[in-house]
Amino acid sequence: MSDLKPDIKKGRGFNPIWIVPIVAVVVGIYMVIHTKMNEGPQITISFDTAESLEAGKTKIRFRDVDIGMVEDVTLTDSMSGIIVTAKMTKNAEPLLREDTRFWVVRARVGAGSVTGLGTLLSGAYIQLDPGVGKTEERRFVGLEEPPLTPADAPGVRLVLHSEHAGSLNAGDVIVYNGFKVGRIEGITFDSQKKEVLYDAFIDAPYDDLVTTSTRFWNTSGITVTASASGVEVQTSSMETILLGGVAFGTIPGIPPGDKVSSGASFKLNRSYSELAQDPFRYRSYFVVEFSQSLRGLKSGAPVEYRGIQIGRVDRIMVQELVRSGLAGGGSAIPVLIYLEPGRLGAGDTRELVQQMSSNVENGVAQGLRASLQTGNLITGQLYVSFDFYDDVEPVAPQEFDGYTVLPTIPTGLGQLEKQVGDLLDKVNALPLDSLLVSADSSLQTLDGTLASLTGTLDSLQTILDEESTQLMPDEINKTLSEIRQAVSALAPDSESGQSLNEAILELNRTLRNLEQFTRTLSAKPNSLIFSSDVPADTIPEASAQ
Amino acid sequence: MPSERAIDRNLVSCHLCQKLSDASLHTCPRCGEDLHLRKSNSVQRTLALLITASVLYIPANLLPIMVTDQFGTATNSTILGGVVLLIDMGSIPIAAIIFIASVMVPLGKLLALFYLCYLASSAKPIGARQSTLMYRITELIGKWSMVDVFVVAILVALVHLTGLLVILPGAAAVAFAGVVMVTIVAAESFDPRIIWDHQESLNE
Repeated sequence: MSDLKPDIKKGRGFNPIWIVPIVAVVVGIYMVIHTKMNEGPQITISFDTAESLEAGKTKIRFRDVDIGMVEDVTLTDSMSGIIVTAKMTKNAEPLLREDTRFWVVRARVGAGSVTGLGTLLSGAYIQLDPGVGKTEERRFVGLEEPPLTPADAPGVRLVLHSEHAGSLNAGDVIVYNGFKVGRIEGITFDSQKKEVLYDAFIDAPYDDLVTTSTRFWNTSGITVTASASGVEVQTSSMETILLGGVAFGTIPGIPPGDKVSSGASFKLNRSYSELAQDPFRYRSYFVVEFSQSLRGLKSGAPVEYRGIQIGRVDRIMVQELVRSGLAGGGSAIPVLIYLEPGRLGAGDTRELVQQMSSNVENGVAQGLRASLQTGNLITGQLYVSFDFYDDVEPVAPQEFDGYTVLPTIPTGLGQLEKQVGDLLDKVNALPLDSLLVSADSSLQTLDGTLASLTGTLDSLQTILDEESTQLMPDEINKTLSEIRQAVSALAPDSESGQSLNEAILELNRTLRNLEQFTRTLSAKPNSLIFSSDVPADTIPEASAQ
Repeated sequence: MPSERAIDRNLVSCHLCQKLSDASLHTCPRCGEDLHLRKSNSVQRTLALLITASVLYIPANLLPIMVTDQFGTATNSTILGGVVLLIDMGSIPIAAIIFIASVMVPLGKLLALFYLCYLASSAKPIGARQSTLMYRITELIGKWSMVDVFVVAILVALVHLTGLLVILPGAAAVAFAGVVMVTIVAAESFDPRIIWDHQESLNE
């Protein structure tokens, strides 16, 4: 019976059934290794709030492709923010650079656009904008607002600074001749300079339009100008009317400058009209000191050179004067002015400003002086005028509050007063006393002359009063009548007259004969010797036949 | 007191038609099936399959069994994660069913089969009734271990609103199906008579 016992073999030989668990284990190990190998990096992103972020649900996307998943959302140690821990896919590794940006895409309703509507149903996700930096990074600070322009977008980033925030917001358009070429990306306020800084982006290829001579101005809203030629309404695009915007362009007369690179800073003017008044970037400041009344001199008053505007008055430096302690002794009041070479059409560059400054300083030695002139007689507005004067005394160069002081000469009413004063001084200095003494002696001499003249006249009277003188006219009359008688003896009806007449007639005849003779003689000079020609006999016609 | 077995009377039972034949025969005279006194390499075969099922059980629980794509956002749920989610939602009966069918049943079956293999080869004597009870439990719960795969299959078929809500089977569903099938085969390859053969030989 023992040979009928079941043959139970234990651990002997290899049973092929063991291939099954071995395959299962090998496949399992392979899967684990494969997963570990393909596991992407783990990153952390910090945000202010975890709004609509869920661990295990919120994805990280780039170009709408899932490249990561939020694994954990925790508070920071200081409880002032949150840290999102996310697992990225392996192929997302090259995207994680030092300047890679993350932001949460959720539904946002702005004045200009509604974005992220799809996330209302699908839930928010974290958008990645790949950086271009060289260093890899695993810890990021997320953006609270989505950036308006990708980091690698072609174009140029500018900073516009303005003293007023105006009506501009992030996302507002930047137009060139009414065409949208860029946008405002962000607004910050510099509390030290008290300026609003706008981050602006100009898309390629329009970034070529921005040069060093480009000017930016706010085009928000509508500008209505009423003038004698009618009402002019100036607007930009509808978008800028409703939302505000920035326009840029070049000012006529300024040569185009060089192309700018990213980070360039520009002033944002409040309006085009403000820009047109003050379109130049580069200027040099000087101080002119006036000892006369500055009533009527305002900030922005023109500074002219022989009638051509070369700059403006910045302000009257009263505060600086008080601070410097010079105000007491009736000292001159400094006025800060600036000169702009761009006004002369030469170009608006830093080099030209330096050249202009040195020209002005050299000109001072040759008699360049500033003066206050009256621009408007009714309102009494003043302006500063520069010109060369011959009769000025040389001045030593000096500075006030760090600015070069240019010498001045008094003009206008002040100069008039001076001239009148000078005239009176001259009048006072005249030698009137000696003049009067000499005049007196001249008059005495004249008196003596007149007395001798009277004596002469008296003796003349005596001559006239004598009897012979009285008879003189009768004598003259008698002589004249005798002459008349002599003449009447020659009258034609008298005897002597008739014979005279006959003699004249005889003379006439003789003269006529003489005339005839001289004519014959002139025609034929030999007639004195030969008789005149006898004409040929007349030959009858019949004999000729 | 060991009872008399068919093997003791030199008889062998056919696996297919259960006809008792003489042990000297190699094939069943009725159905032609090969005749064995006991299932060959029963313990070893069962053990190998149990190890396979144990390996498969790891991804079945770690990987997502169901991917719920709701408005474009895919949510992965593991078996235990789904149970926790159902408890949070207040559906405790459903959570209990899923937990029992998906965790307790396969795990219990695995452990029971391991124990039976241990009984069939351990040097320690054990009561025959206890062994039988254990085998009965294995047989009973093994029938229900496919419930989880079944739930996923139904959900995938039913909930398919493209774009709004889509449920897809995850990688764990395959592993879990593997666990269930391998344990069924393992339970089938186990010959319970070996337990008693072994226990009686110990008692002798």
